[in-house]
Amino acid sequence: MIDKQTGLWIYNKMHEIRDFEETAWTLFTENKLRGSVHLYTGEEAIAASICAQLTDEDLIASTHRGHGHCIAKGAELGRALAELMGKATGYCKGRSGSMHIADFSKGNLGANAIVGGGIPIATGGALALKMQNKPNVAVAFFGDGASNQGTFHESLNLAAVWKLPCIYVVEHNQYGMTVPSWQSTSVPDLAVRSAAYGIPGETVDGNDVAAVYQAFARAKERALKGEGPSLLECKTYRWRGHWTGDPEVYRSREKVEEWKTQRDPIRRFRDYLLVHGLSTEEELDKIEKAAAEKMEAAVEFAINSPEPDPAHVLDDVFYEG
Amino acid sequence: MASIVIMPKQGLMMVEGTLTKWLKREGEPVAAGEPLFEMETDKLTITMDAEASGTLLKIIHPEGDVVPITRPIAILGEPGEDISGLMETASPPEAVPAPAAGPAPAVPAGAPGRRVSASPRARLRAEENGVDLTAVPGSGPGGLVIERDVKAHLTSRPAVTPLAANLAKARGVHLSDVAGSGPRGKITAADLPGETPAAPASRSTRAVPMSGMRRAIARNMLASKDANAQACHRMNVDMTAVIDLRRQYGDLGVRVSYNDVLIRVCAKALTDFPIVNASVEGDRILYHDYVNVGNAVSVPGGLIVPVIRDADLIGLTGIAARSAELIEKAREGRLTEAEYHGGTFTVSSLGMFDLDDFVAIINPPESAILAVGKIAKAPVVITNPLGEDELAIRPMCTLCLSYDHRIIDGAEAARFLQRVKHYLQHPVLLI
Amino acid sequence: MMTYAQAIRHVIQQEMRRDPRVFVMGEDVEKHGSVFGTTRDLYKEFGPDRIRNTPISESAFVGAALGAACAGMRPIAELMYWDFAFVCADQIFNQMAKTRYVFGGNAKIPMVLRSQQGTGRGNAATHSQSLESIFMHIPGLKVACPSAPADAAGLLRTAIRDDNPVCFFEHKMLYTTQADVPEDPDFCVPFGKASIRREGADVTIVANLYYVSQALEAAEALAREGISAEVIDPRTLVPFDYDTIAESVKKTGRLVVVHEAHQNNGWGAQVVSQICQMAFPYLDAAPVHLGAKACPLPFNPALEAAVIPSVSEIVAACKAACYVS
Repeated sequence: MIDKQTGLWIYNKMHEIRDFEETAWTLFTENKLRGSVHLYTGEEAIAASICAQLTDEDLIASTHRGHGHCIAKGAELGRALAELMGKATGYCKGRSGSMHIADFSKGNLGANAIVGGGIPIATGGALALKMQNKPNVAVAFFGDGASNQGTFHESLNLAAVWKLPCIYVVEHNQYGMTVPSWQSTSVPDLAVRSAAYGIPGETVDGNDVAAVYQAFARAKERALKGEGPSLLECKTYRWRGHWTGDPEVYRSREKVEEWKTQRDPIRRFRDYLLVHGLSTEEELDKIEKAAAEKMEAAVEFAINSPEPDPAHVLDDVFYEG
Repeated sequence: MASIVIMPKQGLMMVEGTLTKWLKREGEPVAAGEPLFEMETDKLTITMDAEASGTLLKIIHPEGDVVPITRPIAILGEPGEDISGLMETASPPEAVPAPAAGPAPAVPAGAPGRRVSASPRARLRAEENGVDLTAVPGSGPGGLVIERDVKAHLTSRPAVTPLAANLAKARGVHLSDVAGSGPRGKITAADLPGETPAAPASRSTRAVPMSGMRRAIARNMLASKDANAQACHRMNVDMTAVIDLRRQYGDLGVRVSYNDVLIRVCAKALTDFPIVNASVEGDRILYHDYVNVGNAVSVPGGLIVPVIRDADLIGLTGIAARSAELIEKAREGRLTEAEYHGGTFTVSSLGMFDLDDFVAIINPPESAILAVGKIAKAPVVITNPLGEDELAIRPMCTLCLSYDHRIIDGAEAARFLQRVKHYLQHPVLLI
Repeated sequence: MMTYAQAIRHVIQQEMRRDPRVFVMGEDVEKHGSVFGTTRDLYKEFGPDRIRNTPISESAFVGAALGAACAGMRPIAELMYWDFAFVCADQIFNQMAKTRYVFGGNAKIPMVLRSQQGTGRGNAATHSQSLESIFMHIPGLKVACPSAPADAAGLLRTAIRDDNPVCFFEHKMLYTTQADVPEDPDFCVPFGKASIRREGADVTIVANLYYVSQALEAAEALAREGISAEVIDPRTLVPFDYDTIAESVKKTGRLVVVHEAHQNNGWGAQVVSQICQMAFPYLDAAPVHLGAKACPLPFNPALEAAVIPSVSEIVAACKAACYVS
């Protein structure tokens, strides 16, 4: 059961993520952003519900659609947006753009621009936690597309054999770029793949905060008990195309509208908070307003940030210390 | 196949030449070895022969043009041949009978088409050792000159005095054909066959903006002022003994000038002070084991400094004879390059113009020059045999030594000048 | 005296004693002690957690090593053959190599990826390649190539203590070579410092790994013909010590680079290119670059030998550079 404090934290994070994504969309259309920008709009419940249960000592590895995970794991909106704009103040000093936001100090081992690339890294993070005897877990976020990569299968096997405290969270948003999952993936419910590795697998409604929250809590408990990894499948839908500029010829507007109007995770969680008496309309409006203001400040910060100096382009290839 | 005729480099110091006369007209045939044009270099007028046979298709530079070395001046070929391509590569500059602005471009020596095939390392070694790569047979693939060829060339190259080397170049003598009579077979000037062909006198006073000589003088003097740390010392000398010496020679029927005595004295002093006989090359000091004393001679249109080579060895009468010959040649413009290059020190006398004393500019690459004023009677305080001071009338002369303070210290220069004075006042020491 | 394999094992053991964050993961490293014995019996001292057998899942365990390095460990991951790097190429070239840079310098990646490579044991096309040039090509990886026991020890210790990803290339034919190895538990060979293995005046031979011994053999043969060859082992390709080679070439005027890696775009081409720029005026002959021919490595020993450079080819190349027929 989600308590009030956690509920409001999640609600706030979902808003921060959505504001960030929609702002990024706008800035892209205004030609203030360039490169590949993959938006998390519509999937906010997953990152927020899971990261609500993580501390800075817990580790995550994220994906090309990673802004949500990074924000939920503690990334500052201003520095994250600055990175999307290629500014010197960005998380990666403007070198990486949208797909490599990382902050080891917050336990974020980084977004990853290769589909499935982060899964072994999260697994390695879990290995380190286990060898260090830390009471923490590692979370690998990835999409349904990555579940067809070798790294997914190899990592689940390896983590199962070594009983690593790793939770594999597949965000099943129905498409691998433009290909619908029924065309690419052997099973409709990816959680069944856990059976191949002898670990628990669970499919939940990824747009339902409470469902995601509780399922992750079970997986985390198992991991902390030393029983090994779990596979958690969160069914969701991305509102935007694969990338900003995706003509979306592979799906209908109606279907997108249906997910937006019927299954918006933020609206659903707002109802949840009100129905369960965890918050009031006024309180939630205040949170929304605060998040929007925070985003405005972030835009201000990012736009006014300096461009990186090409004189330093060769720095940081190696650690020189 | 048409070919380009270039302004040939004719002497170590030559950077440009003045085309004084074309001996063929455009369209006229010429045979290889036949005189093609006359030119004036720094100090000479030379007739140049055609290197190839053909028809003089195009004169790029008319008479009077001053042309940097290796620049195209004409095109030889078959009548009617298309030379537009060559003309483009020749890119004739504006034919201005005026001094070319700025220094001559750095163009590799040797005519176009005769580029030596050599490894980079061979080029480096050749440059370090002053080896002309065109003279080195290559043993690498396709005749490529490699380092070991340059080294072999260096060890096989006979030791040679710089004077002989210069003379050989001027006379077109291959040193490998010459047997040296110097120490350990060193080739000296005396070993060289033939005489440098005398060029006809050129006493042209045509309205050329500046003659080659004038340009050379201007360049050398300015370069000297720019490059040297020039300082000077002045000293008065009692010439009584020198006058006496001249008279004694005169009694023997041998004419010896004051200048000859000065050259003899300086040559001896130079062997005592090798640094004054040295020169500077980059960061190195070149000590010469020979003493070649230049004698500044005023000639129409400028100044030239014929060099009495081995002035320390040939004795006063030798100096007198050689200097008379050179002065005559200088005044007639017949000096060869070898006769005015290779000096290690210069004596310049302007006493005949009634100068008490004057400061001369060092003649590079030499490091010092002695300026000699007129000999005039003057009252001096002397100490008589009784140890008493008294006034006397003596023939006095003021010497002014300009020296390159980079390598010659003030005290060293003073000691040198003191030594010169001592020899002049005690010429018996010259024997 | 220690063999090359013993030197590696010895350093792993010492470094694991020194730093509890250091551990080994790879295929068959535990009881089998790795195919060439470089971790033999270490599990007895450190247990199966720190001498960790992995599944045959190169992407997973190399990526996991990277993740563990990001999370405070200092893993030594071992691939059985460098050829298998292609199985997990994304984790090496896109992840290991780039993590620090793409995260704006906010990461240290203290990990070593070890393996062995090369011909000589009839392992054929997919188990005999020499691949270090590829790792030199992708920025972000340090590349070490020891050719002798002492270098293996000193370079590996430097690699383990380095806070960057180091790809450590061993050669399968070197494991049994024996030599003195300094006992000092802090003996390190610095990266980016070439070793002059033999001094000479006429030609500079640059070689790495197994080909250092081939170059030395060639130098011996050349000496009998009056040609004095200098043999230089760069020891690390990243960073690369061009200066030592340039200085040598300034002396000798001739450069022959030889490696077992394929000649096409092999690291020797990079050396030739750099040295031409650094020492062009000193060259007395065109630099020569020898490497394996553009052909997958065959199984039959005679065929294999026909693909890789031979000592006599090295000798011939040096003589040609010296214009000696």
